[in-house]
Amino acid sequence: MIVRVWIAYKLEVLKAIRLKFTYLGPALVVLTVAAMPLLQRFERDGVSDYAFIAYTTPVALNLVGLILLLAYCASLVSNELASGTIRTLLVRPLRRYEFLAAKLLLGMTYAVVLTASAAAATWAIAFALGDLAGVAYGGEVVFTASRMMLTYLAGAAAALAPQFAAVAFAVMLSSLTRNTGAAVGGAMSLWVVSDTLKYPLRAAPYLFSTYLETPWQVFQRQVDALEGQWLPDIGYCLLTSTVSFVIFAAIAMYALSRRNLNT
Amino acid sequence: MTSDSTATLGAWLASCGSAGLRSPDMGHCIKIAKLTKCYGATVAVGGLSLDIEAGEVFGLLGPNGAGKSTTLSILSGLVPLTSGSISVFGRDLRKDFMAIASRMGVLMERPSFYDYLSARRNLLLLARLARREVTVDRILDLVGLLDVRHKKVGTFSLGMRQRLGLAQALLTEPELLILDEPANGLDAEATQEVLRLLRCLADEAKVTIIMSSHMMHEVEQLCDRVAVLNQGRLVTCDRTDTLLSYDLKRVEVLVDAPEGAAGRLRDMAWVESVEAKPGRLEVRLHDENVHQLTAFLVSSGFKVSGVIPRRRTLQDYFLKALNS
Repeated sequence: MIVRVWIAYKLEVLKAIRLKFTYLGPALVVLTVAAMPLLQRFERDGVSDYAFIAYTTPVALNLVGLILLLAYCASLVSNELASGTIRTLLVRPLRRYEFLAAKLLLGMTYAVVLTASAAAATWAIAFALGDLAGVAYGGEVVFTASRMMLTYLAGAAAALAPQFAAVAFAVMLSSLTRNTGAAVGGAMSLWVVSDTLKYPLRAAPYLFSTYLETPWQVFQRQVDALEGQWLPDIGYCLLTSTVSFVIFAAIAMYALSRRNLNT
Repeated sequence: MTSDSTATLGAWLASCGSAGLRSPDMGHCIKIAKLTKCYGATVAVGGLSLDIEAGEVFGLLGPNGAGKSTTLSILSGLVPLTSGSISVFGRDLRKDFMAIASRMGVLMERPSFYDYLSARRNLLLLARLARREVTVDRILDLVGLLDVRHKKVGTFSLGMRQRLGLAQALLTEPELLILDEPANGLDAEATQEVLRLLRCLADEAKVTIIMSSHMMHEVEQLCDRVAVLNQGRLVTCDRTDTLLSYDLKRVEVLVDAPEGAAGRLRDMAWVESVEAKPGRLEVRLHDENVHQLTAFLVSSGFKVSGVIPRRRTLQDYFLKALNS
């Protein structure tokens, strides 16, 4: 099974590489990051470069990146259903859940690419316009450049967890309809509705979308020369993301296994 | 198809043989027992039972909604069956689909591909999924798409897509081909080429073929046996050569005075009906007694220059089966 999923995943990557839409996400994320110096004042004062990074990466990822991630992943299965290519694939030795697993892996890869694009663009601009010599307070270096880099990388890795859950959410909706527009629109609107209602309904602590910013908080505190705490918030982030991922993936697999591919 | 396609086909068939896939006596390839598929209260296929021999070309006929495509979709693993059982290569379809799928090729109606990829790239991707080392160009040559292999599929006509559909079905050098309307969208010449290719695959490489079609002449030319489905049920199933035999109850008689001969024949009890046409008679007999007819006409002084029994067509058989 693992070999078949791996082969199917490689095919998905090869298809994605040849699809222009794939490049839209990273391009827009980089463009967003590149536009950020217009909003965020930048001086060579030993602080504003890290402040730029702490502000820019979450904004680029959680606003622009997330929308593009949802749109991309919501089209992954529905496109195949609408065009009928899923039938061409599934008459071969490939089970439906293996096909879906390959799609999920592609979505997760896309999340990694978006995060890497945002990170690379952010650090490149910060390097060009700042000095990235660590965070100093009162003339004393509180956090070294390497410590800041490590904290950022840890935050970026942890930030993938809610993004992966978002991938599963979008792929689930994509499996429920053969209409790509409905899948993309449904993913966006459900996200907005749940984000709006989660606080009045007191459901926010249980939803992974609440923790999109959480992985960046330690880095943001270090930028202010304060020691940050990973736990317990990062634990909630990972837990809600993992549980959500499993639930969404299970619903997607159930929906796909029940789907009539005759038409 | 190119003029070299015969040579290409030969090489392809040789590779099938060298793969050791086929044996001369494989017995039943497909056994369908009491297959039923329901969509809610609608019965798409109801209690269908069929046995298809290895190396046989089997045709499914029926009007729209008869259950042909559903049956083929179930065989292809695209649609789960509601009840009954299907055994392919002696294996249960539900339990061993992966093993079966690696030995079969499927062409569904209106085959779909990634429009933004070239024909060659599409086939390469599908070949990788099947985990088979195949020469994609050879198969593209076989179906006459070698010259346009680098063109994006989005620019292809319906007929070219159909050929590509056939190519992807042949990718795995299958022992079983499931074809839903294989000549859909093809012009007359291309249809003949495809039918020739399929016949060759069945005869030379012992590929078992099960196909559905609305085109009676396709089925007549290609199939060893046909089954007629109607409203999800098997109406009848028989060998094509039996069905297409001469009908000795319906004959055309070339005679010098058709009007006079028709008048004489109408009085005969063994004549069901007779119609005079310029230079000939169209006669329906109660029994297959052509000798009696010719003897009567000659003894009555008519000059009979020929008696042509009417050849049954699949269309006759199809309509008769549906009406019954």
